[in-house]
Amino acid sequence: MLWIGLHLPRLSLESFAAGLPPQAANEPLALLDNHLIVSANAPAQALGVKPGLKRATALALAPQLRLGQADALRDAQALSSVAHAALAFTPMVVQPPADPYGQNRHHVLLEVQASLRYFAGRERLLQRLGEALAPLGHRVRVASAPTAQGAAVLACLAKARQPLHCADLPALHEALAQAPVWLLGPGREHWDALQGMGLRTLSDLRPLPRAGLARRFGPELLDEIDRAFGDKPDPRVPVSLPPLFDSRLELFARADTTEQVLHGAAVLLARLVAWASAQHARVRSFRLLMQHEPRHRQRDGEEPVPDHSTLEIALAEPSCDAAHLLVLLTERLAQVQLAAPSLELRLHCGDIARGAAPNGELFPSAKSEREGLTRLIERLQARLGREQVQRLVLTEDHRPERSCTTQPVDAANPQAAVRRSATLDPDAVSRAVAISAVRPAWLLPHPQALHERQHLPLLDGAPLLILSGPERIESGWWDGDPIARDYFIAQQSDGALVWIFRGRLPLADGPGPGWYLQGRFG
Amino acid sequence: MRGAALEALHPALWRAHQLGRHSERAHSSGFPALDVQLPGRGWPKRALTELLLPHPGVGEIRLLAPSIASTLREGRLVMLFDPPACLSSWALLQLGIDAEQLLVVYTRRPPVQGAAPPGLRGAESHVEAGGDALWALEQSFKSGHVGALLAWLPPRMQPERLRRLQLAVQAHDGPAFMLREAAAADRPSAAPLRLALRSAGVDRLAVHVMKRRGPLLAQAVQLELPPMVSAEVAAEADLARERTAAARPLRQRTFEPRGRRIPSV
Repeated sequence: MLWIGLHLPRLSLESFAAGLPPQAANEPLALLDNHLIVSANAPAQALGVKPGLKRATALALAPQLRLGQADALRDAQALSSVAHAALAFTPMVVQPPADPYGQNRHHVLLEVQASLRYFAGRERLLQRLGEALAPLGHRVRVASAPTAQGAAVLACLAKARQPLHCADLPALHEALAQAPVWLLGPGREHWDALQGMGLRTLSDLRPLPRAGLARRFGPELLDEIDRAFGDKPDPRVPVSLPPLFDSRLELFARADTTEQVLHGAAVLLARLVAWASAQHARVRSFRLLMQHEPRHRQRDGEEPVPDHSTLEIALAEPSCDAAHLLVLLTERLAQVQLAAPSLELRLHCGDIARGAAPNGELFPSAKSEREGLTRLIERLQARLGREQVQRLVLTEDHRPERSCTTQPVDAANPQAAVRRSATLDPDAVSRAVAISAVRPAWLLPHPQALHERQHLPLLDGAPLLILSGPERIESGWWDGDPIARDYFIAQQSDGALVWIFRGRLPLADGPGPGWYLQGRFG
Repeated sequence: MRGAALEALHPALWRAHQLGRHSERAHSSGFPALDVQLPGRGWPKRALTELLLPHPGVGEIRLLAPSIASTLREGRLVMLFDPPACLSSWALLQLGIDAEQLLVVYTRRPPVQGAAPPGLRGAESHVEAGGDALWALEQSFKSGHVGALLAWLPPRMQPERLRRLQLAVQAHDGPAFMLREAAAADRPSAAPLRLALRSAGVDRLAVHVMKRRGPLLAQAVQLELPPMVSAEVAAEADLARERTAAARPLRQRTFEPRGRRIPSV
């Protein structure tokens, strides 16, 4: 067995900072629990703020200190995203229960013995794991050891970017011997007593009589030492993936602009991608909920502010690329006028496509071009609206107004012929084209009435010269839109050709008798 | 001898009395008479081609139809931005264009009259006019996957915006046609090729080359477009036009060209 222990020393602070505007990252921050500072970031520590101080003391030391409330639920959400990212590497991912003694002890443990060969060794696996965790934005300490508890303890000892590794039990014993006793969960409450007895490291604790230790400090301490050293079996329950993704992020500075919303949404999207990659799936659609600031006082005549607004983003081609998802969200958000400042973001997703993403290609090919087009159309539709990207459809109708129809494009296959699904047969189409009369390329959706002078049509004040016609187009009683017209090809004074008609019968709801412009020969 | 060496230095160099060349083969327009007047013998790729029209319907679709059809035959996409009216699929089929393969993008107004603007676009007021069109064009150029592009630009477009498009179009492997109003002829433009189109009679188009990489062309190129009316009718119409031009007050000959009487209602 080879366990990898991930220790996240700053998880609480980082999950709090995710809801802050981006420029607040370098300001002093601290988390409070029960009016006591439980953690502080580096700028705050430089000002002398450290865990254990009272709130008032900390504010006296650093008046500009930004204080947040520690929130176990928020930390748990961030930690489970780390576990989701790790699930892409092994099914055996363990998230130890919250430590009742230490606020800042966040671990995720992975059993990777069976995955080593697939990922080409421990070094490569750790590198891939680091890449998968990077978008979540947490500082991670890594250690690997043959026992789960040993890996967890060693991960606390590891330095940043320097994974500790113990290949076998003797090496683990040697490494653990130097570990301070307060790293053990049940050791923390007895920390003062242990220190008073001169027991500082695990090597001091181990040779002592077990019965005495158990009586003084409880059996849990012994139990944990045994599991860390591999003297006792250590069964663990792996985390399971929720079938629906739902993550929320409280924004501590109310977001007035879309940039601020996007900054928070980027964190949620990174979590979404971690969740999707854990099941080797790609996201097909997701929903962003923006909880708005309630406005109690309402001015007269003003519409009530909705308590939240929703953005539904559907992808034509499922994607697991956080950058692409963010681009789509950016385009949609750029079009939205936020009703009120947002206080909280929620991201929902339950619509995924399972299976690995198709391979990328080195050289441009027809397939990569199709994929590029899909992304282009998706972006156009995200900003302009789905209805604004259209495709012409061949409609078999003799009436000019009905023969030019369009339909929104399906971004997934921009070049697929609609004809396949419709009943039109290509041979029939070419035959119909061969025999059909001349039609202009430009058709006006509604015929434009023309002035007359001595029964002759005028366009832009100049008379039209009729060249050929009439071509009679008639009827349509079956769908209540009958026409009875004589069409002519006419020439404008500058030489361009136009298609005009004259209504034959005064129909009830159609245009009356007289001359109309129907199209232009482009 | 020295001169020949000078031109060979760089594909962007050419002599003022010669036509410019392009490093890439241009896309043939399908009209040999026009091709010989265009640098690179066809529509340039990776550059804007400006077509100035007095009004839609002078024959621009028939002029561009051969290059659109050949692009579609290569299996590449042709996109149309903001066409001024509905395009008739049957008319396009008659010109050899598989109309269902075209993609039409509307950036300014809803495509269907009376239909509500889709989605959340109702509340916007901060988006400047034409901004969406430019954005969409730039995205399409930069993606590099579009085969050919026709855009009907909003009127009175500022020259710096066109310059920006001309920069973006470098990534676009294919011809890009910007169709603009004829009044834009007086204003400067970054497009390396500018043509003014004018109808020159029935099924004929006069193409005036306003700007190209090469010497000035005083005479407009006369092109025979695919005919919409029979040759006799066209000849008759030309005769009639000449006659009216000679004697203005003469009554326009309009009604029934073939001697048939149309019952007036």
